[in-house]
Amino acid sequence: MQNKTFKLTILVSLLLLVAGACKKYLQPAAVSSFSPDYVFSNVPNAQKAVLGAYQDLAGDNGYGIRISMYFPYDNDEMIGIHQIGDNDRGDIAHYNANAGNGQLNNPWSQLYQGIERANVCIYYIPRMDLYSKGTDQQVKELKRLYGESLTLRAQYYFELIRNWGDVPAQFVPAAMMDNLFQAKTDRDTIYNHLLNDLQLAESLVPWRTDIAALGDLPDERITLGAVKGLRARIALNRGGYSLRRASSSYGQVMARPADYLTYYKIAHDECSDLMARRDEHTLNASFQGLFKDNIDAHTLDKAGEVMFQVAMAGGAGSYDSKLGYYDGVKVNASQTGNSAIGVLATYYYLFDSTDARRDVTCAAYEVNKDLTTLALHPPTTLVEAKFRRDWISNPSQMTSSAQYYGINWPILRFSDILLMYAETDNELNGGASATAVSAFEEVRKRGYGSHASAIGVTPTDHDGFFRAIVKERSLEFGGEGMRKFDLIRWNLLGQRLTEAKADLTAMSKRNGTFSGIYANNTLDFSKLPDSLIYSKASTTPTGLILRNSLYAPRNGLLPATGDSMVVWTSKKIADVLMSSGSSNGYAFYFKANHSELLPIPQSALDANYNLKQDYGY
Amino acid sequence: MKKMPFLIGLLLLIHLGLHAQTVKGRVIDDSTNIGLSDASIAISGTPRGTTSSPDGSFTITLPTDGKKHNLLISHSGFETLTVAVTSTTEALSFRLKRTGKALEDVVVIGYQTVRRRDVLASVSSVSSRQLKDIPLNSAEESLAGRLAGVQVTGSEGSPNAQVLIRVRGGGSITQDNSPLYIVDGIQLDNALSTISIQDIESIDVLKDAASTSIYGARGANGVVIITTKGGRNTGGRTIITYNGFVGFSKLEKQLPVQSPYDYMYYQFERAKQTGDSSGITPYGYKWDTVQKYKNVNPYNWQNKVLNRTAFQQTHNVSVTGGNEQTQYNLSVSDARQDGIMLGSDYDRKLLAFRFDHNASANLKIGFNARYNNTIIDGAGTSSTGSSALNFLRQVLRYRPFIVPGQTDASFDQNYYAETNANSLSLVNPVLLNNATYRKSFNNIIDLNAYANYTFTKYLSFRSTFGYDNNSLRTDAFDDTLTNNSKNNGASLPIADINTMVNSTIDNTNVFTFNNSAMSGRFKEKNNITLIVGEETYQTHAKGGYVETRYFPLGTTSTAALGNMNLGTPPNSSLIEPKPTTTDVSTSLLSFFTRLTYGYDRKYLAYLSFRADGSSLFSSENRWGYFPAATAAWRISEENFMSKLTWVNDLKLRLSYGAAGNNRISPYLYSPQFNTNTQYGLNEQLVTGFAPASLSNPNLKWETTVSRNIGLDGTLFNNRFGFTVDLYSNKTHDLLVNTPIPTSAGYTSQLQNVGSTTNKGIEVQLTGSIIQNRSFNWTANFNISFNQNKITSLGQQKSYLQNSGWAGSSNPADYIVQVGQPVGSMYGLLTDGYYKTSDFNYNPATRVYTLKAGQPNDASITASTPMPGSLKYKGLNGDTVITAADRTVIGHAQPKFFGGLGQQFSYKGFDLSIFINFQYGNKVYNYNKLEFSSGYTPGASLLGIMKDRWHTVDNNGNNLESLVNGQVVGASPDSLNALNKGAKYWIPLVGSSATSFTPQSWAVEDASFIRINNITLGYSLPASLVKKMKLSRFRIYGTVNNVAVITGYSGYDPEVNTRRDTPVTPGVDYSAYPRSRSFIAGVNVTF
Repeated sequence: MQNKTFKLTILVSLLLLVAGACKKYLQPAAVSSFSPDYVFSNVPNAQKAVLGAYQDLAGDNGYGIRISMYFPYDNDEMIGIHQIGDNDRGDIAHYNANAGNGQLNNPWSQLYQGIERANVCIYYIPRMDLYSKGTDQQVKELKRLYGESLTLRAQYYFELIRNWGDVPAQFVPAAMMDNLFQAKTDRDTIYNHLLNDLQLAESLVPWRTDIAALGDLPDERITLGAVKGLRARIALNRGGYSLRRASSSYGQVMARPADYLTYYKIAHDECSDLMARRDEHTLNASFQGLFKDNIDAHTLDKAGEVMFQVAMAGGAGSYDSKLGYYDGVKVNASQTGNSAIGVLATYYYLFDSTDARRDVTCAAYEVNKDLTTLALHPPTTLVEAKFRRDWISNPSQMTSSAQYYGINWPILRFSDILLMYAETDNELNGGASATAVSAFEEVRKRGYGSHASAIGVTPTDHDGFFRAIVKERSLEFGGEGMRKFDLIRWNLLGQRLTEAKADLTAMSKRNGTFSGIYANNTLDFSKLPDSLIYSKASTTPTGLILRNSLYAPRNGLLPATGDSMVVWTSKKIADVLMSSGSSNGYAFYFKANHSELLPIPQSALDANYNLKQDYGY
Repeated sequence: MKKMPFLIGLLLLIHLGLHAQTVKGRVIDDSTNIGLSDASIAISGTPRGTTSSPDGSFTITLPTDGKKHNLLISHSGFETLTVAVTSTTEALSFRLKRTGKALEDVVVIGYQTVRRRDVLASVSSVSSRQLKDIPLNSAEESLAGRLAGVQVTGSEGSPNAQVLIRVRGGGSITQDNSPLYIVDGIQLDNALSTISIQDIESIDVLKDAASTSIYGARGANGVVIITTKGGRNTGGRTIITYNGFVGFSKLEKQLPVQSPYDYMYYQFERAKQTGDSSGITPYGYKWDTVQKYKNVNPYNWQNKVLNRTAFQQTHNVSVTGGNEQTQYNLSVSDARQDGIMLGSDYDRKLLAFRFDHNASANLKIGFNARYNNTIIDGAGTSSTGSSALNFLRQVLRYRPFIVPGQTDASFDQNYYAETNANSLSLVNPVLLNNATYRKSFNNIIDLNAYANYTFTKYLSFRSTFGYDNNSLRTDAFDDTLTNNSKNNGASLPIADINTMVNSTIDNTNVFTFNNSAMSGRFKEKNNITLIVGEETYQTHAKGGYVETRYFPLGTTSTAALGNMNLGTPPNSSLIEPKPTTTDVSTSLLSFFTRLTYGYDRKYLAYLSFRADGSSLFSSENRWGYFPAATAAWRISEENFMSKLTWVNDLKLRLSYGAAGNNRISPYLYSPQFNTNTQYGLNEQLVTGFAPASLSNPNLKWETTVSRNIGLDGTLFNNRFGFTVDLYSNKTHDLLVNTPIPTSAGYTSQLQNVGSTTNKGIEVQLTGSIIQNRSFNWTANFNISFNQNKITSLGQQKSYLQNSGWAGSSNPADYIVQVGQPVGSMYGLLTDGYYKTSDFNYNPATRVYTLKAGQPNDASITASTPMPGSLKYKGLNGDTVITAADRTVIGHAQPKFFGGLGQQFSYKGFDLSIFINFQYGNKVYNYNKLEFSSGYTPGASLLGIMKDRWHTVDNNGNNLESLVNGQVVGASPDSLNALNKGAKYWIPLVGSSATSFTPQSWAVEDASFIRINNITLGYSLPASLVKKMKLSRFRIYGTVNNVAVITGYSGYDPEVNTRRDTPVTPGVDYSAYPRSRSFIAGVNVTF
């Protein structure tokens, strides 16, 4: 009997042992991947998860090329050079995109991937033990990471909304969603959520100068200035016009909410806070210096003017940008740069002759690899050039045949804070206050540089000041992916495209002046030179010596020995309006109350039966 | 694990004379009366022996000691015959019976050996006898067309091409549909690619769930059971065999290319059409100049790069033998094969050793070891990446002549720059091939051992242990001319080393109870076998990847790969990629049992059950349970059949069962983060964490339920045999990588959704059509019909899939849709070109305007329709062609496929002809689509585009152009006169999305009949062989891939270059072209 019990005991314990071993045997530890417990167990790992959420800003499908250089065109400044009907970037630029356009889906997916990664961090970080029980420094760092994740998510949603309007929204990790087949959420609802998120983030993220105390290095990560600035921008868009769905209470029209001033007030307050902290962020002394010596020189600006930027590096499509390759001046050798963002002649001439920003934003020349041979480009082939190969330094990329140069994309600059302040002040008070005028003029003066005294008189009446803001934002932010969306929130996109077409036609005939909103600009198109004579003696591009004025008739001047001459103001200026050819088709298919938003990519529709196409696509 | 054949002797007592010293005889298959070749004849107790010639005859000299000797006549698959002889002067017939009683050959089905007559499974088999005539190095290729219900598709023509094997269509949609491979009782992935044909004794493919269910895990896609050659009881005699062959291969077919004049004509025309003259300017943009190219010598780069005379040689030596206690087989092979493409070759060395030993009356042990070393050189032509990474375009699109001042080895920098649209950047293909170095080293070690212990006459125990270690290292080096170097390496050389070591451990322990040793009446009628077993299977994959960029100019591949730290970024903004590593383990634990019951030899039944626990699922869903049942009725044993003496055997089978599939990546059931993200803070990439995929805690086993009804019979004294199977398989809880709303942050999630069905009929026929003393003709034929259908996709009805050949921005070209089979091609219907009659013509303004009701496809082609433009058919009612006009344009799965093998022998000669065929499947000929487009200026077109619609007339005038959005052209009559007999449209010049839109023109019928090989052999007469001190000597000549009868216009209709997912089969893009080979070989037995 005893023997039997003994045997039984042994048998049972053996079975238990085997059962336990089985369970372990069937759960081999993951070595090359990590569970959430591991990732959110300490500060360095949590930081890596947040960096994962940052990555979706960068690369070909982020601000590396598609979102920054395909989507914001055509506008009243520039044209995306590529032909209509290419079912590609050309169709996006010329407002002919359809759902099957191959350039839409990847950015769409990547923005949502960024949202998901942020959602994961937003869910797990505040639940970490260290978040409540860690050392003071650990808690502060985790709070920063939490706040950064909220801000990143806001940026991703903001980019989705301004391109696609109402979109599916989810604010928890996908694994926790009962149903992934989300229909569209109204943009106002999403914006409200983001404004609350950013308010929370403001209590979590430190100022730029406070990060050293956390042991963080100065880099491109988000600090409080970015949070507040983004909140102001989102508020301004929440209060601005946008194209509504046919099923909305507005119908399929451009509309803004009745209580829009509430949101202008939010923007105004945020800007006001920021303007009180010039120790954190202020204007860089030189407009050209900001681009040439900081952004194109892979160097953070000391003034903190660039408040939020996408860090680009690594020379590959997932992490880097094609800034300076896709846009920028042409390097006159094979396969070195697309120069694919063209500047309209009318935008070039919107700049006053003394405005130093013209030759930073636009380039009228091309270079050889060794910078020796130069050629002037006529107004028909002007290019956007804030990011240009011949300015890239630290290290230089002139001779590289690669396409990625590690140039960061600036999302938010302090001049935007000043101009948003001025704009909201004007709207809230029905006219510009002295602080608004001074904020406005601060931007303008810096732009004019040594000619600051030439900025002229700023109107203070509501409409006059508003028109000045419309123009100033154009002069300040050309090529920074902002214009189309500014015009949309003012409901001026259609009008400005029409005016630009009229101005181009007039200028091509060398007859007339600017029209519409810019009608008070007195530049006489008939006085523009028919040709330009220049010398190639100089060795630096910007030192190109012009023999006759850009703003006055040539008066029979002829080239001297060694000079070159190019046809300047000519009929060809209006060629961009033609429907064929790869540098034409300017805004050709724009249709008001339709073209302000992009179609939802076909594969996103295919994958979600609850997602419907709107806006007449 | 196949047991050694039952060695039950049947004595033929023959009284012989005493004086002669030589025995002449003939070994005959008792069931067919045909002479048996390769039988071993040994004189027991002496080292003397010989082997029978193809007609079965042999000559052997007896020792002159006057004693009685035993002749031991053995042949695998037959009972060994022991005959007492002294000597004789007459020719004798030795009739060998198939192992055991008739049809009692054994097969291993589900952890136990079963007599073939009792097999209730639906099984297709091929034996070494059928394979011996195929001098091929790839065992997989040799199976094409030989097995009913088994589709074997070579992916391309390179010596190491991947071969896809599908049993009854395959049930999964997005997961691997490969069958499970069991080699000598051990699970081994992709076994056929690692074993030499010469070492294979037999291959049995189990097709229905009744037989695969016992394998539970992964049995749903069929089970391929490979038995390797073991030793045999030769009475101690050692048999040494040498098989060798040498030969060469040549390109099977060339694609037509442009003549120099055609090329210049098109480039001139293209310049006139587009205003972009960069393709013609280098040669002079003048019609007169173009005319001069009528006299320029053509240069076909295919001949230079893809059509070298590729030599090959294979040598195999095997040593086999044994006695009652111990048997062994040792085989060594060395195969070297050049590819027809420059710089591609293959070198494989194999060693296999098998040893079986009866340690005692109760204990039998065995050991099996294999070593495989394969080295492959060359980058080949295809990559699963987008078109920029594929090589064939560089050969076909390079201009078809040599420019004065250049040679066929010149690099033309200007031409390279001119042709950079579509990432083509044409480089002299010889130089580019040299600049792209690839070499892979594969070492495989398989070790397995078993012990079989018999406790009582009823109960035995068998334990099997297998260890497999597969280590692969791939070296790559891209010199400055390559796209990789240009785009990622600042035009400096790049090298990378990729290593992967996969090891598996498999252990099974099985108890077998059998009542055959019982006595009494119960045993007479009732035959019972019960097995109970347990299995563990573990895999461990360890990989590493190191890439170094920016090697100094001029670094050689060897120097770079030997010194990976030599690369240095030329400036601080460039960063060396970080090395990556992976380390992943999986495990499987299973318990199984099977009851086999037979009553009165007429009624048979199997019941089996298996439980599998897999680490790939969460603990709640870990276990899958797979039951199966089979019943069979041996009609031929019934009394009422006894009068039908011409029916030797007739059996009806019915089965129903479930089998599982868990082929998914590990850890998908729980959230996991990986380290594949980086963010460039302060110009330095910092590694971040990001979710690897959207986990799914509910993942569970995919299950295939299969129903099968089959009829087997042998007739007319076993001369004819047939097997017919009807089946219906339904796979449910499909593990599908389902597209999910991208707003979730992921593009897909692995889910158990939907179901598919496969229904079909398979027929196998074998026959000895003519058999007499000197001439024999045997044939075997099989044909399979399978119909695959997706019956559910869960919440969705369909989704699109892009094969990705032209990059991700090209429209998707496959649809996965309920009601359609897997592999449905999706796109627009090509409708030729716009005729002049499709337009209204205004003679005054010379303007063509599209007639009302004519479809306008400008939004797809990115060009305004004009006479001669590509035209698509509208389907959705409106006249604007958009994505909404797409439809299913073809199916990649054949309606039926099969093969016909015939073997003839006449005296010493033997001839075999093997043909395989398939019918009704379609292939996307993307080579044709891309190489006929004018996207890239300066790139040559396919020769067929000579028959395009021309816009430039014989005097160099352009007759049609687009002026401010309007089509302006010459009169319809003059356009039609110029284009009499034009077959194709004006080549498209837009982007990849517009030029390479998936369309029905690219879809071609890929039905074919392939004369796969013809072998003619001759064996020296036994008497002559004996004088040469050999026991057998045969020489033969073979032509492999003799001819393909097909309407397909590409290189070969058997092709599949986009294999990442089973959803995109049948893409022909840049596949390595197939070759035809001519081989001579010899078989010698010492």
